Amino acid sequence: MNLLTKTTPEASTPTAPRRAVRPWYEVRETEEAFILTAFLPGVDRSSLETSVDGENLTVFGRRVFTPPEGWTPVYREIPQADYRLVFELDNRINREAVKAELTQGVLTLTLPKAEAVKPRRIEIKG
Amino acid sequence: MKLIRYHNSPLYNPASSYTGLRDEMDRLFDVAFPALSSLQRDGFFGDWQGEFPIDLYQEKDAFIVRAELPGFRKEDLSLEVADGILTVTGHQKTETKADKKDKKADVATQERRVSRSITLPEHLKLDKIEAAYENGVLTVTLPKSEEVKPRQIAIDVK
Repeated sequence: MNLLTKTTPEASTPTAPRRAVRPWYEVRETEEAFILTAFLPGVDRSSLETSVDGENLTVFGRRVFTPPEGWTPVYREIPQADYRLVFELDNRINREAVKAELTQGVLTLTLPKAEAVKPRRIEIKG
Repeated sequence: MKLIRYHNSPLYNPASSYTGLRDEMDRLFDVAFPALSSLQRDGFFGDWQGEFPIDLYQEKDAFIVRAELPGFRKEDLSLEVADGILTVTGHQKTETKADKKDKKADVATQERRVSRSITLPEHLKLDKIEAAYENGVLTVTLPKSEEVKPRQIAIDVK
């Protein structure tokens, strides 16, 4: 059932449904945050959606290019697919403070760690 | 009547391209079995090295090459045409300065180099090639030159 509710909204979107692939990505960890880098060539700012919905962080990017009329493809390697990346977030991440940046097809998401999990010093009184 | 030159795909011609048959086979396998190829290589920038997809389009007056090369700066990309082969190269060096707090950590240098050669169709205006880079996609426009006109050679009878 879970699968059904997940696939239905996508299938019913008015724009032609396209195959979505998982882009190349990596996750790094720093003291303050997790940093996700994903390669989304062909995606511009308006066609990128990054959302945090409950437990899930979803990145959806649409390849915006459509060949103009009169262009005949001779040889193709670039997949005609969109990008989708879904992560499950746990309570280590401060969901309110997620930041996204897109430059030349590279998405950088900064997922700051929640205060609760940052190392904390406890002073001993008395 | 016009004779059409036998030119199946000017781009995909492994035998005559500098990249060589083996590279093309490797790429073919990587495209067909992406999971397998990522198993072979470790490291993050590593599994991306050297491979980027290319599209070739034909228009009335030009050929257009599109290449997905995310995350480069304009100055890191170079194009070269020699002997009918177009070579696209991306070379990037990123220096990540270590945290100020941690003085022991060295400056991390990440290097990325990708390259690909494409056999170009004949009769192009090589001096009119234009390139643009947007959203991590390099677009190269290769204008066609006018069809070579049949030349009449006069024979002098002496």
